[in-house]
Amino acid sequence: MSKIVKALATAVPLVFLVANSFAQNGKITVKGKITESTTGTPVAGATIQTNNNKATTSNDDGSFIIIVDDNIKNIHISAVGYENYYLKLRNASEYTIQLVSENSKLDDVIVTGYGTQNKKFIAGSIVNISGNELKEIPSSNFTQLLQGKASGVQVSANSGVPGGGITFRVRGNNSINAAVEPLYIIDGVFINSNNNVQTGMGGQTQTSPLADISPSDIEDITILKDANATAIYGSLGANGVVIVNTKKGKLNSKGKISFNISQGRSQALKKFEHITGEETGILVNEAAINTAKDNGIDPATITLPFPDPSVLPTYDRNSGLFRNAKSANYELNIRGGSDKSTYYIGLGYNNEESIVKPSGFERITARINYDNYVTKNIKIGTNTNFSRTYRNVSSNDNNPTGVINSAIFPRSYVPIFNADGTYNRAGSFDNHLALINNLDNNAVGWRTISNLYAEISIIPGLKFKSSFNIDNNDMFENNYSNTLIVAGIAAKGSASSIANKALYLTNEQVLTYVKRFGSKHTHDINALVGNTFNTVKIQNTSASGQGFATDNIKAISDAATRSGSSSRSEANLISYFAKASYTLDNKYTLDASIRADASSKFGVDNRWGYFPSAGFTWRASEEKFIQNLNIFDELKFRGSIGLSGNQNGIGPYAALGLWSSGYNYLETAGTAPTQLENRNLTWETTRQADIGVEFSILKKLLNFNIDFYNKYTYDLLLQVPTPSPTGFTSYLQNYGAVRNKGVEIAVTSNNIETKDFTWTTTFNISFNRNKIEKLASDIALGASGRNVSILREGNPVNSFQLYKQLYVDPQTGNAVYEDVNKDGSITAADRQIVGNANPNYFGGLTNNITYKNFNLNFFLFFQQGNKIMNMRDFFLVHGGTQNFIGFIPRQLERWQKPGDITDIPRLTTYKSNINENGGAANNYGGQVASLSSRYLEDGSFLRLRNVSLSYNVPKSVYQSLKIQSIRAYVQASNLFTITNYKGLDPEVSAQSSNQNTAGYDWATVPQPRTILVGLNVTF
Amino acid sequence: MIHNKQFKYKIGIAVFTLGITFTSCSKLLERSPNDALATKDAIIDAGTARAAIIGAYDRLQSYQTSDFPTLGTITADNVIFNGTLSQYLQLDQNAVPPDNVITVSAYQSIYRLINSANSVIAYVPGVNDPALSATEKNSILGEAYFLRALGYFDLGRGWGGVQLLLGPTTDLGVIKGVKRSTIEQTYDQVLADLTEAEKLLTDDANTRSRAQKSAVYALRARLHLYRKQWASAEEYATKVIQNSKYELVKPYKNFFTTPFQTKESVLELKYSANDRNSYWNLWYPSSLGGQYTLKPSETIISKLNNPNIGGARKTLLAGSGNSVYGVLYNTQGQNTDPAYLIRIAELYLIRAEARAQQGLLTLALADLNTIKNRADVASVTITDKTLLLNAIDEERNVEFAFEAHRWFDLVRTEKAGTVLGVTNKNFWLFPLPYQDVLSDPALEGKNNPGY
Repeated sequence: MSKIVKALATAVPLVFLVANSFAQNGKITVKGKITESTTGTPVAGATIQTNNNKATTSNDDGSFIIIVDDNIKNIHISAVGYENYYLKLRNASEYTIQLVSENSKLDDVIVTGYGTQNKKFIAGSIVNISGNELKEIPSSNFTQLLQGKASGVQVSANSGVPGGGITFRVRGNNSINAAVEPLYIIDGVFINSNNNVQTGMGGQTQTSPLADISPSDIEDITILKDANATAIYGSLGANGVVIVNTKKGKLNSKGKISFNISQGRSQALKKFEHITGEETGILVNEAAINTAKDNGIDPATITLPFPDPSVLPTYDRNSGLFRNAKSANYELNIRGGSDKSTYYIGLGYNNEESIVKPSGFERITARINYDNYVTKNIKIGTNTNFSRTYRNVSSNDNNPTGVINSAIFPRSYVPIFNADGTYNRAGSFDNHLALINNLDNNAVGWRTISNLYAEISIIPGLKFKSSFNIDNNDMFENNYSNTLIVAGIAAKGSASSIANKALYLTNEQVLTYVKRFGSKHTHDINALVGNTFNTVKIQNTSASGQGFATDNIKAISDAATRSGSSSRSEANLISYFAKASYTLDNKYTLDASIRADASSKFGVDNRWGYFPSAGFTWRASEEKFIQNLNIFDELKFRGSIGLSGNQNGIGPYAALGLWSSGYNYLETAGTAPTQLENRNLTWETTRQADIGVEFSILKKLLNFNIDFYNKYTYDLLLQVPTPSPTGFTSYLQNYGAVRNKGVEIAVTSNNIETKDFTWTTTFNISFNRNKIEKLASDIALGASGRNVSILREGNPVNSFQLYKQLYVDPQTGNAVYEDVNKDGSITAADRQIVGNANPNYFGGLTNNITYKNFNLNFFLFFQQGNKIMNMRDFFLVHGGTQNFIGFIPRQLERWQKPGDITDIPRLTTYKSNINENGGAANNYGGQVASLSSRYLEDGSFLRLRNVSLSYNVPKSVYQSLKIQSIRAYVQASNLFTITNYKGLDPEVSAQSSNQNTAGYDWATVPQPRTILVGLNVTF
Repeated sequence: MIHNKQFKYKIGIAVFTLGITFTSCSKLLERSPNDALATKDAIIDAGTARAAIIGAYDRLQSYQTSDFPTLGTITADNVIFNGTLSQYLQLDQNAVPPDNVITVSAYQSIYRLINSANSVIAYVPGVNDPALSATEKNSILGEAYFLRALGYFDLGRGWGGVQLLLGPTTDLGVIKGVKRSTIEQTYDQVLADLTEAEKLLTDDANTRSRAQKSAVYALRARLHLYRKQWASAEEYATKVIQNSKYELVKPYKNFFTTPFQTKESVLELKYSANDRNSYWNLWYPSSLGGQYTLKPSETIISKLNNPNIGGARKTLLAGSGNSVYGVLYNTQGQNTDPAYLIRIAELYLIRAEARAQQGLLTLALADLNTIKNRADVASVTITDKTLLLNAIDEERNVEFAFEAHRWFDLVRTEKAGTVLGVTNKNFWLFPLPYQDVLSDPALEGKNNPGY
C-alpha cells in the first residue's frame, strides 16, 4: 500500500516506501525502502526511530527493517537534508511516503532577499535566469551575458576590451551623484562591484570586477527589480539586486567530472579608415585658400602649405592596430554528494586577447562549495571562490597618447618611422607602434569571495542561520613607461606601482519561519527577521619613480626620484530587517517587509533610515470563474509599493566638515579646507510602485509577463554647486529627484515540443523613460571639458547639449545653426538639448531549437532611440584644419563649391565674428567650436548577438569509455549588426567612468566578431 | 525530536549575536578619516597654524602653476592652440564660454586660496600656544593678507569687480547677499590687505618662495600700475629695485634654468619631486614627452629670434620648422619648474612705464634699456612719450613672452582690440563660472556683460 504525502511547498518531494509490517509477539516488524522520487535513487543512512528511542538506519539501497512494540503508533524518520517525517503506523503491509528535501531547489522556488520564495506567490518583480541560458554566449563576464535576457535590465559593454567595464542598469538611472549600479550578491555575499584598477586608461570604466567570477560556475541568476523585492536590502537596494547562485552538489549523488574546452578567434567587423597623403594635402591647401578669402586676402598671394600634394606619401597606421585575437577557455568541475554532504569544485582558466593590440585578459578561478550536515539539525557550509585576473591594460578613449588615438589622429603623410628607424611622433600624439610594442601596464587582481555559515533547524519550519561573508579584492598594478613612449620620454623612464585592497566584510543572522497549515494547506507563511553588520575597508598604497638607468631596469627602487602615498578608509553599515508573506488558499498573498539601516557615512543627525514595502499577489487562475473562461492556464496579478535607499557612490566621510592634508609647499605639510559639514546628510530614497500580470494561454504555449513601474527617487545625494566665493565648489546635500517609469514585456513561446524536436522562443522588450524632476541647477559635463552632456531639470539624464546644425548653406558652404533665442547671432544661449543616450526601448529575442542530438540557439539583441556622440568625427571630420591632425574619408564630402549639398561645411580657420550665424568662424572654431549636432548620431541597432550550434555525440560512440556525455559546439557572436551609426560599433560608452556621460564613441575598441569551437565531456 | 533545553540554548545564541552588534552600534557609526582634520580642529595651535598658511601657498600654486600663465598667453598673440582640448581652443579664439574649464578652474582656485587666507586671518590671532611666537604669528598673518591681496588682484584683472568675502566659510550662509563689488572696490581691498601685510611682515629674509615685505611692495607697484597711479607705482617699484637682494640675472636664461630661485625673483613658487609642476608638458612636443597644446606663434618666434628685439630671449625657444616650442618651463621629467610670479625685470618695466606716463622720459628710457641690455639687445633712444610707451609695451611682450602678462597688459593698455582683434570690450573680462550665475542669487542671474 502506498500513500503520497505532500509536504512543504518549498521543497522537493521524496518517495519513501515502507513495506510489510506484521505482528509478532506484541511486536511488529516494519519493512521499507527509501528512494528519491525525482531520480529514483535510494536514500541511505536515514534514521528510523520510535519515540522510545529504538532506532535503525536505512541501507545503501534505501531499505530497512525495524521491529517495534505493537503499541507504537508513530515512527519518526529523518535524513540529512530532508524534512522530518512522522509515519503513522497502521495495519498495513507496505508504507509509501513522500518526504521533502530541505534545500534542493524546485523549479518554482527561487532565492529572493535573505530567503527563498515560491515563484507563484511572489509579489515582487523578479527575473530568474538559469545558468544554462547563459552558456551559449562567449564572454568572460556574467553581467554581459545578461544582455537582452532579462526585461528591465539594460546591459551594454563599454568597449570590446575583454574584462572591461559593463554598463548595467536595472530600470534606468536612479541617481546623479550616487551609484546607479545594482547590488550584486553571490551566494549570499554582498560583493564589491567598483572598478579598482587605477591606471588611467581613458574615460572608460576600465574594468569590471564581476569578471572575476567564472560564468560556468553559475547555477542561476535572479534579478530583483521592484521595491517589494529590494526593500529588504534597504539602503543598498534602490538600484536593483542581482543574486547569483553558484552550482552545488546534490546529496547522495555520484561524483561527476565535467571538462569543457573552447578556443576562439575574434576580429573587428569594421576598422578605422584614413585618407591618403595627397588628399590630406589637398584639404589643407583648400582650408588655407578659404581662410585667406575669408580674411580678404587674395588667395593667389599666399604660400600653400603643400605646393604639390601629389608628392605626399601615405602611411597606413590603422592596419597595425588590429589583430586576429585569440581566446581560450578551459574548465573542469567536479560535483557530487554523500548522504551528509555535498560538494562542487570548479576550476577555470580563461584567456582573451583584445582585437586592438595590446590589451588582454586572463583569469584563473577556483571554487569550492561545500555543505555538511553536522547533525540532522545543524548544517554548515561554505561557498568560496578564489580568482586571479591578469590584465594587460592600455589607454584609449580620450587620451591623446592612447593606442588608437595615436593611430587615427596623425596625418597620413606623416611617416611612422624616422629615417633612422626610430619611432616618429606628431603633435600631441604618440606613435601607435611604439605603444603597442612597449606598453607595459598590467593589473593583477586577487579576489576571494567566500562565506561560512551555520544553519540550525530549531523546530520544523523555524531555522536560524548565521554567516560570515568576505569579499577581498586585492589589485596590484605595475606600470612601466620606457623611453620609447611619450609617457616615459621626458622622465627617462617612469614607473608606478599601486596596491589596492578593498575588503567587504558582512556578518548576517537570519531567523526564518516557513510553514503551511490548515486542512488543505490554506495558510502559508513565509517570514524572516535578521540583522547584518557590514564594514567596507579600503586601503591604497602607491609608489612611483622617474628616471631609470636603462629601459631594462623597471623596479621603482632603482629610480632617480621616487615618491609614495597611502590612504585608507572605513565605512560601516548596521541593519535590521524583517519580512513576512502570507498566502491564503494558494490564491492571495500579502507580503510586507521593513528594513532599518544606519550608516557611518551619514550626518550625525540623520543616520538611520527605514525602508518599508508591501505587495500583494492574486492568482486569479485559481478562481472558478477564471477557470471557467477556459482561456488562461495561469493568470496572476501582482502589485507592490515600497521604499529602498541608496548610499553607494559617496565617500565614507562625506558628511564631515574637513580640512584635508597633503596641501604641501616647500617640503612642508599643509592643510586646507576641503569639505563643509552636513549633519543632515542621509540616504537618497526610491519610492517604487509596480503592477504586474503574468499569464499563460493555449496550454502554456504562450507565457506572458508584463510589468508597469513608476520609480521616484528623491532626496538625491547631490553635489549641489555652490558659489565659488565660498571657497567650495559643491556641497553634498539631499536635493533633487529623478523619475523612471516604464513597461516590460517578456514572452516565452513553446512553439513545438515533440520527442525529437523542440523549439522555444523567448522575447523581451523594455521601455524606460527617465526624467530629472528636480535639480538645483544644470550640471554640464563630459567630453573632456566640452560639456557635451548635461543634467537639466525636465530632461532625462545623459542628455546631449549641442548647437543644432540646420544645414550647410549651399551658397557659402558655411554651417547654419538654429538660433534658439532668435537674437540674430549664435551665442551660448543657442546651445540646446538635442537628444540623449538612453534607448527608447531595448530587448532580446532568443530561439532555441533542438532536433535529436542537435541544438541550435540564436539570439538577437536590439535597442532603439539612443544617441551617440561620435567624437572621432568631431576631431577628424570638421570645418577646419589643425596642425598635426588628419582626416577620415567622410571629410572628403565637405562643401567645395556653390551648389554643393552636404552637411560638412567648407574648410576654413577664419576666427573673427564668432557670433555670426552662417559665418565662416563657426565652421570649426568660433562660438560653436565644433559642438555641432551633426556629430550626434542615432545609435539604434539590431544585432545577431549570438548563434550557437551544438551536437550531443550519441552514447553508442563512447559507451565503452565510461563517459556520460560528449557535447561539441560552435558559437559565433556579433555576426552582423544593422545600424545607421557611422562609427565602428554602436555598442560603446567611452566616457563611462562617469554615469552621467553615457553614449560617447571616442577611439574605443569595438565589439568583436568571435567564432569559437568547444567540446564538453562529462565522466 | 525537539528538546526544550536545546531550543532555548539556540535562541540564546541568536539573541546574543544580535545583541553584540546592537550594543557597539553607535561607536561603529562614528568614523573619521586619517588624512584630514575636523574643521573645528583645523587651526588651534602652532602646528596647525603653520600647516594652514602652507596650505594657502599650495592653493596659490594651484592656479599659478598652469591656469594663470595659460590665461595670460594663449588668449593673446604669443601662443597658439595646438592640441585637442577645446578649453584651449576657446581661449585661443577668445570665444570663452562661461563653462570654460580653465577660467572656471582659476576662478574657483583663487577663491579657495582666499578662503584659506580668510581662515588664517580669522583663527590664528586666537591661537594661544607658547610655541607660536608673536613674530611668527604676525608673519603668518602678514602672509595671509598678502595672499588674499594677490587673489583679489588676480580676480580683479581677470573678471572685474568680484564678490568680496573676508571671513572663513563656515557654512553656505556666509555668501548670502554678498553682491559684486566694483573693480575699484576690489582693488581698494587689495590695497587694504597689502597695507596690513606690510605692517605685519618683517624685512626680507633669504627666501624668495614666500611672501616678504618686498613682495608686498612689488605687488603694490603692480596694483598702482593697473590703477594708473603712476607716482605710487614708481615709488613702490623703486623700493624693490633698490633692494640688493634682487638683480637682473645674466644671461637671460639663468632665471629659468635650474637651480632656480635666482636673484631675479621677487616671488617665485617652488616645486620639487614631491610637489610637481608639469606645465612644461603643455609646451613640449610629444616626441619629447609633452602634449604641445601651447605653441609659440609665428609672430613671437620671429620677434624672439630677432637680435634687435629678442636678443638673448631667443633662448625661450627650441626646435625648428613647424615644431618650434617654448622652453620657459623646461624641467622635462623632473617637473620642478617654478611659477614666476614677480621678477625684478617687471619692477623695472613698471617703473619705466610709470615714469614715462609722468613724463620722466629719460629715466623711463634708462629702465627700458636696462632690460634690453640684460637681454643683449642694444640700447635705444626714444624721445616721444607715446613711442616710448609703445616700446615699453613691446618690451614687456618679449620679456614676459610666456608668463601671465601679455593678455592682461593688452587689456590694461586697451590694445586688445587693435592687437588681437577682440574689439568687443565685453570680452576683455573672462566670464564668471556658469554654475556661479545659476547658484548664487546675489548675482541676480547676471554674468559679466556679453556672456
